[in-house]
Amino acid sequence: MNSNRRVLAFVLSSTAILLLTSFLTELFHYKSSIPLNNINLIADILKKDPAVTDDDSLGADPPAIEIVEKARENFFLYRQGHIITDFNTDTTDPSLSRFLQKLHALKSGKKGKVRIAYFGDSMIEGDLLTQTLRKLLQQVFGGSGVGFVPVTSQVAQFRQTVTDNFSDGWEDANFKSGNSKHLFFSGHLFRTSGASVQMIDHTVTDTAAIIEKSILCGHVPRQVNITVNGASFTLNPDKAFNRITLHNDRSKGIKVAVANDQLPVYGISFETTSGIIVDNFSFRGITGIEWAGVDSSFLESVEENNPYDLIILQYGVNLLFRPNDKNFSWYAKSMLPVIRKFRNCFKETDLIIVSTADRAFRYGSQYRSATGIDSLIKVQAALAFETNSCFYNQFETMGGTNSIVEWAGRKPPLANKDYVHPNHKGAEVLATYFFEAMMKDYEKYVQSLK
Amino acid sequence: MPSFDIHAFFKQFLYDPENPLLFNNGFFVFFFAVFIGLYYYFRNHYRARSYIFCFFSLYFFYKASNEFVLLVVLSAVVDYYLSNTIYKTQDRATKKGLLVLSIIYNLGLLVYFKYTNFFITTANDAFNAGFNPLNVLLPVGISFYTFENISYTVDVYRGHFVPVKKFTDYLLFLSFFPKLVMGPIVRAHDFIPQISQPYQITETDFAKGFYLIISGLFKKLIISDYLTLNYVNYIFDDPSRYTGLENLFAVYGYAIVIYCDFSGYSDVAIGIARWLGFHIPTNFLSPYQSHTITDFWRRWHISLSSWLKDYLYIPLGGNRKATFGTYFFTALIFASSLLVTTHALSLSITTGLVISFSILLLFILPSIIQKNLSGVSTNLNLMTTMFLGGFWHGASWNFIVWGGLHGIALAVHKIWMMLTGKAFKRFNDRRWYKAIMIFITFHFVCYCWIFFKAADFTTANNMIHQITHDFSLTVWDGFYSNYKYVLWMMLLAAVLHAIPDNYADKIIERFPKIPMVAYLVIFFAFVLLYGAFKSAEPVMPIYLQF
Repeated sequence: MNSNRRVLAFVLSSTAILLLTSFLTELFHYKSSIPLNNINLIADILKKDPAVTDDDSLGADPPAIEIVEKARENFFLYRQGHIITDFNTDTTDPSLSRFLQKLHALKSGKKGKVRIAYFGDSMIEGDLLTQTLRKLLQQVFGGSGVGFVPVTSQVAQFRQTVTDNFSDGWEDANFKSGNSKHLFFSGHLFRTSGASVQMIDHTVTDTAAIIEKSILCGHVPRQVNITVNGASFTLNPDKAFNRITLHNDRSKGIKVAVANDQLPVYGISFETTSGIIVDNFSFRGITGIEWAGVDSSFLESVEENNPYDLIILQYGVNLLFRPNDKNFSWYAKSMLPVIRKFRNCFKETDLIIVSTADRAFRYGSQYRSATGIDSLIKVQAALAFETNSCFYNQFETMGGTNSIVEWAGRKPPLANKDYVHPNHKGAEVLATYFFEAMMKDYEKYVQSLK
Repeated sequence: MPSFDIHAFFKQFLYDPENPLLFNNGFFVFFFAVFIGLYYYFRNHYRARSYIFCFFSLYFFYKASNEFVLLVVLSAVVDYYLSNTIYKTQDRATKKGLLVLSIIYNLGLLVYFKYTNFFITTANDAFNAGFNPLNVLLPVGISFYTFENISYTVDVYRGHFVPVKKFTDYLLFLSFFPKLVMGPIVRAHDFIPQISQPYQITETDFAKGFYLIISGLFKKLIISDYLTLNYVNYIFDDPSRYTGLENLFAVYGYAIVIYCDFSGYSDVAIGIARWLGFHIPTNFLSPYQSHTITDFWRRWHISLSSWLKDYLYIPLGGNRKATFGTYFFTALIFASSLLVTTHALSLSITTGLVISFSILLLFILPSIIQKNLSGVSTNLNLMTTMFLGGFWHGASWNFIVWGGLHGIALAVHKIWMMLTGKAFKRFNDRRWYKAIMIFITFHFVCYCWIFFKAADFTTANNMIHQITHDFSLTVWDGFYSNYKYVLWMMLLAAVLHAIPDNYADKIIERFPKIPMVAYLVIFFAFVLLYGAFKSAEPVMPIYLQF
């Protein structure tokens, strides 16, 4: 008995049936049955009809923000990469004039702190992006120190710019645990009766630099004793938000122990008395609307006691958590009051909205940019336009559609295979692009002075 | 209404770098149907049959790797010529010279294409040599066919085997398309005699071949691809973003993925060969059922371990003696171990020396215990085999460390047997003891996989750090609700793996002749499942802690 005939019979009949199903699928446009489309043997050798757009969801709702351009304004400038735009049609005008004025003063030798708050989600976790931006800015405009470091964080062990050893016993209140009225920009508030934290700043290269180490904490109606490097230290945290300098010397490390759970502790800041400070405020998984819960009066106290010269908001990737979402007008509605609140509490501060970077999903068997990414970026730009903020199109800057797929596929890769997160190298690239855009704006400012 | 695109049609026949030919391409279906038609038609014309087979194999090679097909042809020409000359030459010295030439040629190809960049970057890291990386592309299958060439020439040299008369027979042995991309490594003395056998297969061959092909595709395309894309890649790319629990499951997941990938491909290759009348020995025997690490190496990638045994371990002196190679490679391993510990792991010179000496000591220890000095060379040869075996898997220190860890474990197992052999005899065969040993062996193998898969040592260390320092079961609910399909898939894989290896054979034996319709129904059920998985909504990573 030779069964070789059976092999032939099986292969020929199964091929024939597969071919037949493929023909029938094509013939009847049997779209609903996706499994059959994926095993179509003849799809590659057929001329396709022009793509049928199924974009009906887009623009079905009226946009949450209506764009009304004034004279010398062009909303569509948002589509350009590599520039920070204030939507002014005269692109030789700098966009961040107030902030650039302070940079210029630093560059001309004046003393002072220029503080930048960089808000974001997991994209900047572990000081990614900000560590490069900080380094580049400090190289040009002076200053050293890593800036703000929260007491604890999920990625504390992996953050390369600072060693953060904390003992057990810090109780963490944050966006995910409820009441967010008095959360600082990090999104966290810590309390403890007996735990300690030790931090060492690794960004300072100048051994002679005097580093100011301050505790950032909330309000307690009376004096509080804490332990700093083994010695007792009395705090008088009488404001809603306090920035109290603990040590001012060449040491790059500090150890703080707190034995009073009345004291809301946010973290420690490492900075020089003059120069650039870049604070990294990452909170994984958020979109920015979480800030709606923070008290305006608290933010005003932050403005008073720890003023910022530039606020950068980089969110968006967590809005693209489903592959087919295209309508983000709900986000525009929720985010608009948040940005207005920041603008009102930080009146003298420039604000940049940084768009989401590219993120891809698997559609069929291929990874492609999220279908909704263009409409999300338009919403983010509209938020900037409406609140007189500046806008930076990170998606376009990194290469636009499918750039994350290209980044993840490079050797060595610039992004992770989740097609969301640029890796260490990728974050350096993004930071460099952003720094270059800032410097381009700075050059415009310098030109305008002449 | 779509219409026929003649241009796209002809393009299908050319190599497409975006879409190289694999068993799961639509093109393979047509390729195989045409091939089997011709093969069957010419089944009694052995020459024609062999030419057809050669042509299709080379064409497959071309569709999988473009111009590198020429490399396999060139390899075949060189080795065919050298082995025939070795056979005809009487003079021992000339024979040996030709053998060395063949080995240098094959290893030279392998080293050039696979390891050039590795050596350049190592030189740059260790000695600041400042060479520019060459970015040589790795030709498909080169690790397999260079080894097949070497074993063939060595067998001819040893007089174990009379070289083939027909060049096309040799070319077919080398390029045989089912095993071309990922093995198994086939031995000439098993394979070549089968080329000129009548095309005769039994009903069992047909059923077993079908089973191997479908189960192999299931392992590769459904289990492995699903877990890789929806879970394992996320975690291994950036372990520090995820909790210890997620990291631990990613390691388990990868253990499943690498097994399903590798053994799935082997099974399809063996199954297709079986349908064509060729018997290729089994390559994997449920390796995670192993109760010792020695047992694991008898079940994992058997064609490679037995190749390494016959053509590396034994020529080095095996368990008989120490040769020049023994000392040479021992010195090399010592140096590499120093280099890894001081450079890649950034430890101090003293720690590096302590670790390197401890590794040496471990391999010598059994002989000291037994007071038998000849055992020293056995262990040194074993160590060399494991380190080089690791290196064969890929050009990076990670693979050397992976091989080294397995080598060390084999030595530790030997010592363990010596120390406990008699004392544990009472319960050695008990179920509970075996279960504990399977658990330990599996976890050790998993530990080694971390180094095998992670992009670099930092990633591997981050992963181990998360598992040991950030492990908490409190995140289980969130973990389960996000990854439930992934976890069920892992459970399915574990259950399938636990089935004894001869179970399928027993089932097949019970049904002497299964009707064709049943085969077709099973096949189409699989195809639909594959289609469904290809379009399944991807699982996205989430954060369990903030």
